[in-house]
Amino acid sequence: MGGNISQLEKQIGPDNFPNNERYCGLINFGNTCYSNSVLQALYFCKPFREKVLEYKARNKQRNKETLLSCLSDLFHSIATNKKRVSTVAPKKFIARLRKEKEEFNNYMQQDAHEFLNFLINRINEIILLERNHGKPKESTNDDKQSSDEPTWVHEIFQGILTSETRCLNCETISSKDEDFFDLQVDIDENTSITHCLKCYSNTETLCSDNKFKCDKCNSYQEAQKRMRVKKLPMILALHLKRFKYVEHYNRHTKVSHRVVFPLELRLFNTSDDAVNPDRMYNLVAVVVHCGSGPNRGHYISIVKSYDFWLLFDDDIIDKIDQSTIEDFYGLTSDGQKSSETGYILFYQSRDTDTKVTHADIRANGK
Amino acid sequence: MAINGDGSGKDEQKTRFSTREGVYSLMPLIEYYRPNRSNFSSTPIPLNAVHLSLVTVPGVRDYPERLCLNIGKELYIYVYKGIKSGADMATQIEKKTFKTMNPTCHSFNTSFTSSDSIPLLVGFNTGIITLQDLIRKDVCKVFNEEKLVDNTKITCIQWVPNSRQFFLSSHASGQLYLYNEELPCSASPPNYQLFKSGEGYAIHVCKTKSTRNPLYRWVIGSENSCINQFAFSPCNLYLAVVSQDGFLRVFHYDTMELVGIARSYFGGLLCVCWSPDSKYVAVGGEDDLVTIWSFHHKQIIARGQGHHSWINVVAFDPFTSSYSSAEQSSDTSCFSTCYRLGSVGQDTQLCLWDITEDVLRQPVFCSSVNIKPKTNDFSNNGDAIALTSTNHVNSNNCIAVPTHHHHHHHLNHNHHYNIHLGNHTSSNHHYSNNNNNNSSSKDNPATDSSSAGTLSRNSPPSIKQRVLLTFVEKRGDGGGGGGGGVGGTSKKYSTRSNSSGGSEKHCNYSIKHSELEDPMKLIGTAACPRFDQCPLLEPLICKKISNERLSALIFKEDCILTSCYDGSVYTWARPGKINSSNAHLVATTSSMSTTMSNDSTSTVV
Repeated sequence: MGGNISQLEKQIGPDNFPNNERYCGLINFGNTCYSNSVLQALYFCKPFREKVLEYKARNKQRNKETLLSCLSDLFHSIATNKKRVSTVAPKKFIARLRKEKEEFNNYMQQDAHEFLNFLINRINEIILLERNHGKPKESTNDDKQSSDEPTWVHEIFQGILTSETRCLNCETISSKDEDFFDLQVDIDENTSITHCLKCYSNTETLCSDNKFKCDKCNSYQEAQKRMRVKKLPMILALHLKRFKYVEHYNRHTKVSHRVVFPLELRLFNTSDDAVNPDRMYNLVAVVVHCGSGPNRGHYISIVKSYDFWLLFDDDIIDKIDQSTIEDFYGLTSDGQKSSETGYILFYQSRDTDTKVTHADIRANGK
Repeated sequence: MAINGDGSGKDEQKTRFSTREGVYSLMPLIEYYRPNRSNFSSTPIPLNAVHLSLVTVPGVRDYPERLCLNIGKELYIYVYKGIKSGADMATQIEKKTFKTMNPTCHSFNTSFTSSDSIPLLVGFNTGIITLQDLIRKDVCKVFNEEKLVDNTKITCIQWVPNSRQFFLSSHASGQLYLYNEELPCSASPPNYQLFKSGEGYAIHVCKTKSTRNPLYRWVIGSENSCINQFAFSPCNLYLAVVSQDGFLRVFHYDTMELVGIARSYFGGLLCVCWSPDSKYVAVGGEDDLVTIWSFHHKQIIARGQGHHSWINVVAFDPFTSSYSSAEQSSDTSCFSTCYRLGSVGQDTQLCLWDITEDVLRQPVFCSSVNIKPKTNDFSNNGDAIALTSTNHVNSNNCIAVPTHHHHHHHLNHNHHYNIHLGNHTSSNHHYSNNNNNNSSSKDNPATDSSSAGTLSRNSPPSIKQRVLLTFVEKRGDGGGGGGGGVGGTSKKYSTRSNSSGGSEKHCNYSIKHSELEDPMKLIGTAACPRFDQCPLLEPLICKKISNERLSALIFKEDCILTSCYDGSVYTWARPGKINSSNAHLVATTSSMSTTMSNDSTSTVV
């Protein structure tokens, strides 16, 4: 272990090692790589990390243990680690997680995206709960307002999708907004994430059993529906749907299609009234699935830290060349079952990135 | 998931495809190299792109063409027989296997090839360059052997046009070096002195007592951003360079002045080429777009959307393009200009694009409002005039293919309409909100006349076209709804034209350094217009022609050559080039065995 640690510092070089930055591998407690990989990716989503550490600073004497308090303790122990490179055991966090969610209360491999989804939503719930709890109860009206107010989880991850439906009978267009914390994207062979996102917003025709209830016609009608992004989130989390249920085998199998993802991204599938359609994203972290199926295999993550890339494989950390990222795009032909493929992509909006960088520079200057 | 709007079966690998000029057919698949699949599955090694270099040897009567290709650690040289091939599909002249490095790119000196000498440069992933001659076996030079110049991968290597000894090599480090093949490299790491610098680039001269290689070092783009490709203009004056930082930079080669830039929509630019008349530059990259940049206007004039993944190669087809050789052809002559562009990418697809006169003439972006008097009328007066003016533009076109063509009209109309919105936001608001729907704009007669004009030409508009239509219009809609908020796009338009007082000054290239540092600031400018600010092309054809990523595309008079990462090289006979003598060769869906004769095989270190 010790040899490995000094090796990363050597790889990065003492002059290039970022001030105030810590890299901590996470110990695996029996198939907990789904959690480790997601936690590392989230740690390197700087806006998220900052908020979690802020939460820790604000709630020092709170003794009620929640998933968020465990997460903030974990992030705090990484950020304030004495050593620049070390290993941390997320024991308390995993124990809490197993208590909170029945499905995770075992030693089986879990789906990293399911875990991410659960974690983000639960943190949001905890913030809302604590917000209402902390306030003296006045009127129910105020309570409702405070729960409507966006949390920092919303500020970071929440985007808005607008679904436009056009009734083919009366031609009326109705649109409905819905929030999302991540986009779950179908993938196709030899495509780019850009293309998959475009397909996400393809127009679909609602017909036969799936007709649309048109308010104007007051009946079920054939309609065309399309989902586009109205508000682009600060951190765009993209889940590549690599596990497909195959009826023939009666189980999920892995889709190893090659899907390229650029380091810089803009969205084509924004709605006409989008708030920030020009948002430019930078890739900051990728959760990678290695292996042949959802319930076997391994999760690792690659993250960008300052101007280099790191690979976190539980307690092992390696500096990788940027060109290595292409190894995680997937396979051109589906001859092989096993593959190491990008599974969840985290893109951070560049406008927030620059803010963070300035803050970092100031912090480093001290 | 049904994604192919054009209805082509997406999983089917095509052996023929038709365009307006006829049917292209795949000649027998020449698999120069058969990768050992069993080896691959145990240790998947990422392959390099397989590039093709072709040269015609003057004075050789039968089969004068030589083809060079790199696959993994190997370099192959063949006599290329094209569509005239007999029983032997290709004759291998040479095969070299390199133990410690991979050839990544190569280039014949086409200007100085004769039956006595065929010079060939090869660049490697280690930064090393070799020069050999297919005829004169004594020629064998190595440059940057100690990797003192640059130890990163060579991404592109080219002879300086009409030069016997000068060549340029670009590296993954973001640097470009000029070599003189007659000079040795310096024995120690070269010392450089700044020779010239400008926005986003610096050129250094190598400082040694006696002249040594490299002569010049060009540092291009942000730090360490890989130069992916460069290309000299056919007029030999300009050098276009594309980098991983998303920029196209065009230099005057001799003066080393930066004369123009463009930015990808996002992500790195991977490939670049010039139109045969040096008037346009096409680039492709990680935004899945083909982007056309006008040298004259120094701005992006069109984008092409059709690929499903990154674009590896763009190439103009000089044999199908029609353009006038005169310097200023656009306004007076009725000569029909149409450039044929091809592109291949990681989606295993070949796309062909027609860039027609209406796109080229289309006063795009900032130039549209001030320069063309027609458009001034358009923005000052009502819709009726607007319609006449666009019709006028259309009637001037004399391009042969109506089916393909009307789509561009469609785009043009939208474009005009969008400009129009900038000035009459409120009156058009209603229509914009119903942009999915061409029959519901009746409430607004003024708008309706223009919209009907647009849509009737496209009837019946497919869903895909509607999507496109809304894309083109989208910022206009936002302007209406946001009370001038997002309408900034259209409004900026008018603001810009006002402030510039009708001069075309602001269209000229003038980029500040800060803008280069932050590409966000380029969004909405001539170097990186928004989607609705420039015409969107749809491919003429878009066909899956391989099972692997495609990595080369060459247009020849009688055929098209493509290659892909697994080493297969495809020859597509042009329409009418299949006759009784070679008809039996045309590939069918059944696999065909090919014969190859090996003359010599050598292994080198």
